[in-house]
Amino acid sequence: MPLDTSTTYPLTRLRLDGRRWNELRLLQAQISTNPASSGSSYLSMGNTSIMCSVHGPAEGRRGDGGSAGSGHAVVEVDVNVAGFAGVDRKRRAGGSDRQSSRIATTLRSAFQSHLHTYLYPHSTISIHVSVLSADGSLLAAALNACTLALVDAGIPMPGLLCGCTSGMSGSASTPRDPRHDELDPLLDLSLPEEQELPSLTVATTTAVPVGENNMDEDEEAMKVCVLTMESKVHATYLETMLAVGIDGCSQIRELLEGVIKGSRG
Amino acid sequence: MASLPPIAIPGQRLGPLSTYSAGPGTHVQQSFIYASIAGPVVADPAQPKSQTRPTLRVSRGIPSKDQASSNPAVPAVTSKPRYNTLPAVDSIVLARVTRVQKRQATVSILVVLDESATQSQDQSRTASDNDNVASILTSAANPENHSSTDELRFQALIRKEDVRAVEKDRVVMDEMFRVGDIVRGSVISLGDQSFYYITTARNDLGVVMARSDAGNMMFPVSWKEMRDPVTGTGEQRKVARPF
Repeated sequence: MPLDTSTTYPLTRLRLDGRRWNELRLLQAQISTNPASSGSSYLSMGNTSIMCSVHGPAEGRRGDGGSAGSGHAVVEVDVNVAGFAGVDRKRRAGGSDRQSSRIATTLRSAFQSHLHTYLYPHSTISIHVSVLSADGSLLAAALNACTLALVDAGIPMPGLLCGCTSGMSGSASTPRDPRHDELDPLLDLSLPEEQELPSLTVATTTAVPVGENNMDEDEEAMKVCVLTMESKVHATYLETMLAVGIDGCSQIRELLEGVIKGSRG
Repeated sequence: MASLPPIAIPGQRLGPLSTYSAGPGTHVQQSFIYASIAGPVVADPAQPKSQTRPTLRVSRGIPSKDQASSNPAVPAVTSKPRYNTLPAVDSIVLARVTRVQKRQATVSILVVLDESATQSQDQSRTASDNDNVASILTSAANPENHSSTDELRFQALIRKEDVRAVEKDRVVMDEMFRVGDIVRGSVISLGDQSFYYITTARNDLGVVMARSDAGNMMFPVSWKEMRDPVTGTGEQRKVARPF
């Protein structure tokens, strides 16, 4: 099926699934789904659904080398994309493919530096992410699911880490045309959009308020924690994509806070 | 002063450091207190002698429904939240002897008695893991239950020199403990990755429950002897002083 975004989107301003450019897909989440783990969550963004469970902080493996001997907890991430997650069933030889190991590496480095790991020396926090259904924005959905599971596990962190994707439709490989300066950014890409269009994943947390204005209750201050981009786009579009993505992150933060309050309240 | 939220979410600002001091579950950034974990916010009132500001903490417990509905503005969870009790230094534990060697005895910790339960009189109102101490001990004293659950519990060592305070060099481990005895001990060290270290070198520490060779529960007759009520034979133990 050819993707019609490039032809119909300028006319209708509606994407393939009927969303407008700045609309998120339906985000549903639960926490404490798996009582056997320290913390767990289930999160679905549109047709992407992810299960995440956290074990620990537990005693690190013996003979783990230098990293476990330090005064910080070590975060381990294991990502498994189910064979039935995509459109066509994939049979894999047990190992992890390139996509899942890349997600795991990004998750690990994001949460290793994000969590208050200094509170748990010589221990390991292991995160297991299972992708049950993949429809784009896998990394963003995994970040959100991990955040919920870590909150459920009671692991201290400076703030919620919320991820979102944004993309750019149109001829994004050429520089912006100064004569008709129209930008077509898209928020929270689905899989067909992600395959067709340049996109980036951004994750933010609430920032440290700096300076004199830290007395006001401006909760919109954000700090970008994760930023990855695996496609090419002309540099002039990047700022718009980032702004759209960061705005999506704050929308997701409100949704995740509602999920946490709903389960604790 | 802004009122405290009933439920905190990680990253939520709770108050300035000039009004509160930071307790468990919170962190300080730029002279403000932020929540680190999700849970009900508790403001402990200031202790008049030690500190001047109330302490803010975020508890891991889930507030009970009746408290939340009756008084939503003040999320005062009065009872201390209960954690899984891990053995700490100086905590009193009950353990079962699993192995007696020449220099040490290996025990597995069954119960960690928390200090609050032993001190306070309102022991009955505070629910905890230790409510079923009796059932834990009776099941632990039965020989058929010995093998299965030992690996799951915390292992500890009683070294020969930690058995009693006097005549440490004359201790013979076989005359102090027998496999299957229930011992009350005090944790002296968290030890290495595999064992805690426990001492029984106090009058109130030592064997509290033991079976004789005939298999009957014995009663203590002195600090170093227990007797079988059926056969009347005595056996040597390092006996804890009964309360």
